[in-house]
Amino acid sequence: MKIVGISACTSGIAHTYIAKEKLIKAGTEAGHQVRIETQGTIGIEDELTVQEIKEADLVIIAADIKISGRERFKGKKVVEIPTNLAIKAPKQLYKKLESELQRGV
Amino acid sequence: MQMSVDELDIKKVINEDLIDLNLEAATKLEAIEQLIHLLYLNHCINDEKDFLEDVLNREKEGITGLGEGVAIPHGKSESVIRTSLAIGRTQKPIEWESLDGKPISTIILFAVKNTDSNVLHIKLLQRVAILLADDDVIAKFQTVRTKQELIDLLSKK
Repeated sequence: MKIVGISACTSGIAHTYIAKEKLIKAGTEAGHQVRIETQGTIGIEDELTVQEIKEADLVIIAADIKISGRERFKGKKVVEIPTNLAIKAPKQLYKKLESELQRGV
Repeated sequence: MQMSVDELDIKKVINEDLIDLNLEAATKLEAIEQLIHLLYLNHCINDEKDFLEDVLNREKEGITGLGEGVAIPHGKSESVIRTSLAIGRTQKPIEWESLDGKPISTIILFAVKNTDSNVLHIKLLQRVAILLADDDVIAKFQTVRTKQELIDLLSKK
């Protein structure tokens, strides 16, 4: 699958970036293409492009705060989780998402 | 010995004086206080009490124990003069809310200036955070023997 996402935590210092790495690592291992934008204390980095969002099969928002630019995902399948879930169990997260999508939930 | 550029870089936010591999703390609060004291002694913060308050406030917002014995408390505060890290390893694991429910023995305290015009320092902290997504790095925190080994570990790309 092509997956895009956002990660953002309360202080924007650590969890944001750990979650991003874990989502990319576990996603790539599971055979997906994953792009994650971070919204941290120094602002937005690795901003998703319109094209990337358009082509994505799934959007993962790993955030503990309100993210900016949510409207970009209008009409997409969006999964929202806290950053800690992405950090704790990224592999299980993908497994769950894959089976949900297969069942068409 | 020639230093790599990476090592020079990471030393902007961590040095041997900000590391204690034999932290005597028996509780989470003691561990945080002792690391804050290290930051104070090294002129990274100007008020221990203030910074402690910020770190404890952040603790209330969510779990900072990443699992496998590593925790990353952090504070962004007016009392931070220089964005930096303090790292402690406790002699015995201590009680700490963590994602895997295990106690904590390695504590990496992030101190961030409230208005940091120096994006480089925050970028360096970011790089450390990214390393923490690597299970091998996390495992090595328990086995490094010297402060230099720990700095080398954090200099890893």
